[in-house]
Amino acid sequence: MTVEILFPEVCSLYGDLMNIEYLVRSCPEIQVVRTSLKETPAFVTRDDVSLIYMGTMTERAQELVIAALLPHKGRIMQLILDGTPFLITGNALEIFGKYIECDDGSKIDCLGIFGTYAVRRMMQRYNSLYIGKFGEIDIVGFKSQFTHSYGDAEPLFETVRGDGLHPGTMAEGVRRNNFMATYVIGPLLILNPDLTVYILDLIGAKGCRPAYEEAAYDVFRTRLREFSDPNRGFTY
Amino acid sequence: MGKLRFLAALWAAKLSRPVLKLTRHNGTNFPGELAIKLCPDFLKYIGKPETIISVTGTNGKTTVNNMVCDIFEAAGKTVLDNRAGSNINSGIATSLIVGATLFGRAKYDTAVFETDERSALRIYPWVRPKYILMTNLFRDSIMRNGHPEFIADILTAYIPKESKLILNADDLISCSVAPDNDRVYYGIEKLDSDRTECINLINDMRICPKCAGKLEYDYLRYHHIGRARCSACGFTSPPYDYSGREIDYAAGTVTIADKAGSGVYALVNDSIFNIYNMVAVAALFREMGMPHEKLTEYMKHAKVVETRYRELDVGKIRIITQLAKEKNALAITRAFDYIRGLPGPKKVLLMMNCLNDEKHWSENTCWMYDCDFEFLNDPQIGQIVVSGPRARDYRLRLLFAGVPDSRILCLPDELEGARQIDFSPGDMVCIFHGVDSFAVTQKVLEIISRRAEEACAE
Repeated sequence: MTVEILFPEVCSLYGDLMNIEYLVRSCPEIQVVRTSLKETPAFVTRDDVSLIYMGTMTERAQELVIAALLPHKGRIMQLILDGTPFLITGNALEIFGKYIECDDGSKIDCLGIFGTYAVRRMMQRYNSLYIGKFGEIDIVGFKSQFTHSYGDAEPLFETVRGDGLHPGTMAEGVRRNNFMATYVIGPLLILNPDLTVYILDLIGAKGCRPAYEEAAYDVFRTRLREFSDPNRGFTY
Repeated sequence: MGKLRFLAALWAAKLSRPVLKLTRHNGTNFPGELAIKLCPDFLKYIGKPETIISVTGTNGKTTVNNMVCDIFEAAGKTVLDNRAGSNINSGIATSLIVGATLFGRAKYDTAVFETDERSALRIYPWVRPKYILMTNLFRDSIMRNGHPEFIADILTAYIPKESKLILNADDLISCSVAPDNDRVYYGIEKLDSDRTECINLINDMRICPKCAGKLEYDYLRYHHIGRARCSACGFTSPPYDYSGREIDYAAGTVTIADKAGSGVYALVNDSIFNIYNMVAVAALFREMGMPHEKLTEYMKHAKVVETRYRELDVGKIRIITQLAKEKNALAITRAFDYIRGLPGPKKVLLMMNCLNDEKHWSENTCWMYDCDFEFLNDPQIGQIVVSGPRARDYRLRLLFAGVPDSRILCLPDELEGARQIDFSPGDMVCIFHGVDSFAVTQKVLEIISRRAEEACAE
């Protein structure tokens, strides 16, 4: 199994890279390919990439990433249609939408693979706790972002508490086949051992259990209980 | 109308001060908050000292600000400062109220203000520093600060054009701030302990700011602090105007040099972070024309405040309280790195929980996976007690860092952690706490001190 991390030199905010380290700790057979901005992604030249991962980045990095991925848009669309797993966290989600609207009204064109668009307000940072559902799996995590996304897309999570892609919607994230993108951070997989098991199964690591399983579930259950407390503030 | 409103706000704020004293609420921002509430552009009208020094940056600004004030005091000069209050607009307004006459004229000719970098937009339009000393720009609270590029952009937008910047040349993020402003750079020359590859989880300068090519480092100290170059486009870190060199830990000295000469300075503290702070402070005073001969003497009076780092010897047990600013992965990494570097066996109590967040919602714990907990996986570190509301998260993170579960004791009650941490004569007990946990840290310290006395008596 090969997991490709796209642009770890810039897509490295908020502990997101540890999502993949957690997969490796759970299944040491996983090989990791780290692709930098100046390199051709492995998913372009290879057919054996089991999971493509990209995490949270700065706003300037978003523009570099769009430029790096745009030549490979067709290949990305084909991989999504073919069912190749993608895990996209934080504002990396926006790269696959139509555009990002900036504070001054200007728009940054994105890959345009999905019908979503993001609205960025740098002086209105949004922070929230999050509880959602991925099928039967409970999801917990955090949101901390300068943007919200709007537009049509099949959601990844159904929000139980908190906001989805933007305030007022329960639809969180973007999903098509095995393409999974969400604003929820944590790191997502470390905070959600059941989701980790799902991803491990999906990429062929069947039977692997999440690393530090007892401690991870202890943290997960504690957080789910805390976040479910109706007296606990949710949006900051 | 504006001036009348300002005077009303000033008098109300001044009147509030004796009331606060009577009710033992000294050191709050209330006068400044009140003044700004009554007169939103209060900072525009209040009299300002002719020379304002602003100390900003992510980490170290309180220490640097205090050192600057200590040196002014040692030199016999009284300056206005905001040490008793806060570093946001209301804290600075409070200081200016103290330093103004009844009609709002400034009573001081010089002010030293620690300035919250995120609050630049509410301060610098009206409080226009002659010098802005920037310690560094790193990741801080994910919720408030996002990432350092965001903070650098705020500073660039709001730093007055006339302010002279004193910048850390070894930090390319702060070097990028306000590129059109006059500036000088300080830094620390290559050390034996330097590397060329980063070993930290956080490194926010991996690509060239000009061409996005891979940056290479001639030397790298921690995170992105070091001297970088881009072999693709020729970009390099700026040269030093003020450099720290020849650090002699045995003698406790560092040489600080500039084009006009050099001085040998007694180390205020032997952590590299605080040596940067010293070089920054020296650069400021050298810019203001103070000769090395005087500055080396005055620097001896500069201190790192006890709330940040404190050592207490009880018999053969040394107890250390180390501020590890909550949710600040980089500050906590630096604290871990410093403590692990101290010689001798150690026991650790982790309790840098963001208690204020826990009162209202729940601490965002993403920072834990940016922070090098791996530094606690050290043969000299024995038991690690994890405490507070996020004790379980600490445990999971420590397991991730390779610390065996048998060495971790998970006790969500901090005081119970203090009662159960296992130490004996010859040990060092290191308590990592945050700003929110100053009060509980004091109680923890008392319990551990009492137990240390008993252990040594046996």
